[in-house]
Amino acid sequence: MGGPHLRPYLSAARLSFRRQFAYPAATFWGLTTNLFFGALRIAVLLALFGARPQVAGFTPQDAITYTGLTQAFIGALSLFGWYDLMRTVHRGEVATELLRPHSFLGFWFAQDAGRAAAQFMLRGVTILALYALLWDLKLPEGPLGWVLTLLSAVLAWACGFAFRFLVNCAAFWSPDAVGIGRFAWALLGLCCGFLMPLAFFSAWFQNVLAWTPFPSMMNSTVEVWLGVKAGAEALGVLGVQAAWTVALLGLARFVLGRGLRRLEVAGG
Amino acid sequence: MGERSALSRQQSADDPLLSARHLLRLYFRLLGAQVRSQLVYRTAFALDALAAALITGAEFAAFALVLPRFGGLGGWTLGEVALLYGLAELAFVLMDLAFGGFDAPNLSAHVRAGTFDTFLLRPVPLPVQVFGSDFALRRLTRVGLGAAIVAYGVGQVDVPWDVGKVALLAGSVLGTIAFFGGLFVVGGTLTFWTVESVEAMNVLTYGGRTLISYPLGIYPAALRKTFTYLIPAAFLSYFPVLHVLGRPLPDGLPGWAASLSPLVGPLMLSAAFAFWRVGVRRYHGAGN
Repeated sequence: MGGPHLRPYLSAARLSFRRQFAYPAATFWGLTTNLFFGALRIAVLLALFGARPQVAGFTPQDAITYTGLTQAFIGALSLFGWYDLMRTVHRGEVATELLRPHSFLGFWFAQDAGRAAAQFMLRGVTILALYALLWDLKLPEGPLGWVLTLLSAVLAWACGFAFRFLVNCAAFWSPDAVGIGRFAWALLGLCCGFLMPLAFFSAWFQNVLAWTPFPSMMNSTVEVWLGVKAGAEALGVLGVQAAWTVALLGLARFVLGRGLRRLEVAGG
Repeated sequence: MGERSALSRQQSADDPLLSARHLLRLYFRLLGAQVRSQLVYRTAFALDALAAALITGAEFAAFALVLPRFGGLGGWTLGEVALLYGLAELAFVLMDLAFGGFDAPNLSAHVRAGTFDTFLLRPVPLPVQVFGSDFALRRLTRVGLGAAIVAYGVGQVDVPWDVGKVALLAGSVLGTIAFFGGLFVVGGTLTFWTVESVEAMNVLTYGGRTLISYPLGIYPAALRKTFTYLIPAAFLSYFPVLHVLGRPLPDGLPGWAASLSPLVGPLMLSAAFAFWRVGVRRYHGAGN
C-alpha cells in the first residue's frame, strides 16, 4: 500500500465528495423535510416519556439528541437506500470499471467515503446545528468523548458500506434486485436503531439484535455520543463495530468474486 | 377496429353513462398492461411486495415494541393509536395506488423525458392516462397491512360499534384518499413549472401522512393548529377517531365536525384539479 497506489482512490473520494455540492436547492429542501420529520419524531418520543424523567437509561434530552443524530446520519449512512452499484451492474457499466487497474471494492469504498463525508458536512452538521438551536442537544463529554464518537461514526459508516455493498451484489444474480434492496433498508431501519433507540425494545429483541451487525451501523454511535456507553465499555463497542466491519468487508469481497465470475455483459 | 372505437366515442359524447364506462374500460386496460409487466420477474416482485409491507410494518412494529415500556402515548393506548395509524396507512396507500401517476417525482420524470407530450397527443383524456400511468401492484401488501392494523385497533378498543361509527370511519378513509390525492395533483401540476417542487411537496404529502398517523394532541400547539385550521388534515382521520372513541374534539369544536372528512377531502381534490387544468393549459413542454 505505497503512496502512489493510493492516488486513484483518493481522487475518486475527492471527486465524489465534490459532486455532493452540486444541487443546493435539493439540499435546502432535503433539510426542510428532515427538520419537519425530526420535529414529528421528537413529539412522539416526548409524548411517550410523558412526565417520566428517564426510561431505559434515556432522558428526554437524550431522546431529542438521538433523533437529531439519526436524522443527521440519514444521508451520510445512506439509511434510506443506495442503489448506485446495482445500477452500474444492470446497465453493464460495471464492465468498464472492471477494466481499471485497481480494486473494484476499494474503489467503491473510496467513492462512498467521499460521498459520506460530504453528506455529513453538508447535511449532518447543519442538521445538528439546527437541532442545537431549536432543542436542547446533548454533546459528547470531553475530548475523549468526541474522539470515541468520531471513531464510532467512521466505523458505523464502514460497516454500513460493507452491508450496502453486499445487498447491491444481489444485482449479479437477479435482474431486478431493487426489491431485495428495499427489503434490506426496511430491516436496517428497524434493527440499527433508526426507528427507535434499541434500548427501548424488550430484552429478548435486544438480545437477538446483539448477534447481528445492525446495531454497529448506527445505534452504537448514538450510545457512545450520549455517553450511555463510556470508557472501557465504549472501547468494547468500537471493538465490536470493527470486528463486524472486517467480517462484512471480507464477505463482500468473497461475494463480489462469485458475482463477477457469473457476470455476463451484453452488447459492446 | 378503429372505426368502432371512433363510433363508440361518438356515442359516448351523447350518453354520459356510456362515456364513463368507456373511460373506466380504458383506465383498467392501462392498469392491466402495467400489472402484466410488473409480474414478469415473479421472485423480484414478491420481494418488492414484501419489502413494501415491511417498511410500514417496521415503523409500526418499532412503535408497538417500545410502547409497553412507556405505558401509553399521551393518554392513548396501543389499540387506539393502531386505529389512527392503520387508517392513515390504509387511506394513503390506496391513494398512492390510484393517484401515483400524479406524484411529483413520477410526473416530473415524464415531463423531463418528453413522454408527457405523447400523453397530450393520444385521443384519450389526459387525466385517465396519468391516472393509469403508475400503478404499483407491490403496494397491495401495504393495503393488507393497513387493514390488519385497523382490525387490530378495532379489536383492542372498547367501543360499541354501530352503523354510524363504521360509516364515519369509511368516510374518513374516502376523505383522506381525496385529500392526499389532491396534494399529489397539486405537486404534479407544479412540475410543469419547476423541478424543485418535488421535494417541497414531500413535506406536505409524506409529512402529512406521518403527522396524522399519531394523535394530533401530542404535537406542539402551533403545529396542531396549522394542521387543523390552515391545512385541515385533522378533519381527515383524527376527529373521526376521537368521535368513535367517545372523546371530545379539541378547541371546543362541535361533534359534527368529526363527520366533515368526506367534504374536506373532495373540496381539496376539486381545487387541485382546477389548478391542474390551469397548469395543462399553460404547459409548454420540455422542448423535445
